[in-house]
Amino acid sequence: MNVLIVEDERQLSHEIEIFLTKQGYHCDVAFTGKSASEKVFVNSYDFVLMDIGLPDYNGFQLLKEAKEAGRDAAFIVLTARGSIDDKITGLDLGADDYLAKPFSLLELHARMQAILRRKHGLKNNTIQIHDFVMDIQNRTVSFDKNVINLTKKEFDILHYMALHKNRVITRVQLTEHIWGDVLEEDYESNYIDVHIKNLRKKLAAFANSDFIETVRGIGYRLNMP
Amino acid sequence: MRLSGTFFPLKLQVKLALYNAISKALIIGAFGAIIPVIIQGIVYDHIDKRLSARLEKMMRMVQIGGLNEISLDQDCSFDSYNVFKEEYVSISPLSGLPGDFGKRTIENTERLIENDIVKHRVLSQAFLYDNQLYEIEIGEGLSTIDQLNDTIRQFTIRILLAVILLSIFIDLGFARILLLPFNRIVNKKLKDVQHPSTFDATPVKTSTYEFAHLDRSINEMMHKIKETFQIEREFITNVSHELLTPISILQNRIENIINEPGISNEILNRLVDSQKTLSRLTRIVKALLYISKIENDQYLKSEEVSLQNLCTEVLEEMAERIEEKSIRISSEFDSDFIYGPCNRSLIHTLVLNIVSNAIKYTKMNGEIKITGRSADTNFHLTISDTGVGIPSEHLPFIFDRFKRFHPEDGMSYGLGLPIVKSIATFHKLELKVDSQPDKGTNFHLFFPIQGN
Repeated sequence: MNVLIVEDERQLSHEIEIFLTKQGYHCDVAFTGKSASEKVFVNSYDFVLMDIGLPDYNGFQLLKEAKEAGRDAAFIVLTARGSIDDKITGLDLGADDYLAKPFSLLELHARMQAILRRKHGLKNNTIQIHDFVMDIQNRTVSFDKNVINLTKKEFDILHYMALHKNRVITRVQLTEHIWGDVLEEDYESNYIDVHIKNLRKKLAAFANSDFIETVRGIGYRLNMP
Repeated sequence: MRLSGTFFPLKLQVKLALYNAISKALIIGAFGAIIPVIIQGIVYDHIDKRLSARLEKMMRMVQIGGLNEISLDQDCSFDSYNVFKEEYVSISPLSGLPGDFGKRTIENTERLIENDIVKHRVLSQAFLYDNQLYEIEIGEGLSTIDQLNDTIRQFTIRILLAVILLSIFIDLGFARILLLPFNRIVNKKLKDVQHPSTFDATPVKTSTYEFAHLDRSINEMMHKIKETFQIEREFITNVSHELLTPISILQNRIENIINEPGISNEILNRLVDSQKTLSRLTRIVKALLYISKIENDQYLKSEEVSLQNLCTEVLEEMAERIEEKSIRISSEFDSDFIYGPCNRSLIHTLVLNIVSNAIKYTKMNGEIKITGRSADTNFHLTISDTGVGIPSEHLPFIFDRFKRFHPEDGMSYGLGLPIVKSIATFHKLELKVDSQPDKGTNFHLFFPIQGN
């Protein structure tokens, strides 16, 4: 998988690069709109992660040009401008997703995987989690054809952990994933623990749910062979 | 007319009409008062000259022909009146010598002539004839002149009244036409302007210098406000970028470091704490930017929302928290209310923050009640809790930014209620809070019904 990171803030593009490389992506980096434009038209990418606040180039313009030229890379617009119109403009111009800075790298990866699933049809739409089967399309988890009644948030948490299996996910990362868009006061609480507790209980009614491991003081990890 | 200060402000056209009427009344009134006096003066002057001439004539007659010429009666006096008692001459003997012998005096007196009291202007003079003192009086009636003066006075009063009425009538109409551009300016340039971005700077047609001046000044002012809004908007964008970019770098770096193998647990814990702190910083920056954007009018109001469904959604979203505290929930709507045009996401955030606040301050096994009541002019949504309540001295400040009245919970940053406030203000919703410490708090939202 080839990814082009278009980001003028070098420290940021570096962190994204480190993360995605570890996830097995092949990363290319452009710090200016000009070089990004050249790279997009010369190379073939699966993903273009594009900051639209580039100093030398309007990111939307680049997106438009690339889309018009029929480049089939998936575009994810990254912005820190905090403008509401940016999201709408980006999606209107054919961007596949939109992420407002600051975003979690795990969130970025989850979005990329969601795009991959969308692009490559419905073939690989279930995830096997030990004895459980997660159907992403229908948003259900079942055990031996018994559908387990999970709440929306419980499903989201399990899905997020499954996407990042064998990796510690901190409470903050989980909280941001399920409450990220909500602007409210009482946010940094231990509600995640309550959700995990309920989730474990519901899974344990059917089979062993020890694969959801508590990493003391830090967060949770979904262990998979 | 609206009460302003201690007096009722009058419409300018009424004021102008009244001012004109009063000034005209004063001028005409002054004329009405002066003209009879002047006429009287002139008339008296004429009468006096006539009387003097007649006196001279009489005296000449006496000198030439003696008193005998004039037929004196038994007591040596003579009286002559014309038919209408308008003029008369009398000569009568005097018994003593008057101090002002030979001097002519003129006075207005009332004389009884043949049972009629007639006002006369009388010229009198004493003279010596045949060693006998006589007094000659020549008079002329004043009734005609008084009548004339009365007529002039009445005429003046009638003219005065007619002119005042006509003047008020014409002035009201004229002022109305004159002030039309003013009303247009106020309506078009001030009242109808919801936001500087919708301001129409087309000049209002007027031939009055002052109104053109006013129009220009408003346009200039609006232009400045527009610019300020634009600068503010750019500032928000820049601040967003400048603050969120470094936060972004730190957040992603911490995420990467946490995943490095071989990090001791102690450092890992501190990294997770840093992540929490950074997350809090992000929340604060986002909340501040959110409020700024709402205040800068960057959200569209083009959607409709069912308040009943919205409340259900919010409660579902909060289900785990409600469950965790074993809070009883009751929701009671006498009818649903579709509110719009509004921004759905903002209204959602508004209700969510009030409910979240209620959950946060409600004790275990407490109760939260949502009621919707439809009234004539508005829909009244109340969110009540049985929480710790707010002391009355804190109530006026709960919507202020960064005011935290519960320092023991380190998680809140004092921006939840300011967000509520700014969304309510943006939608022109009335927001009220009443609270009793240890009993609970009621948040009231009044959604205006369209057309009111």
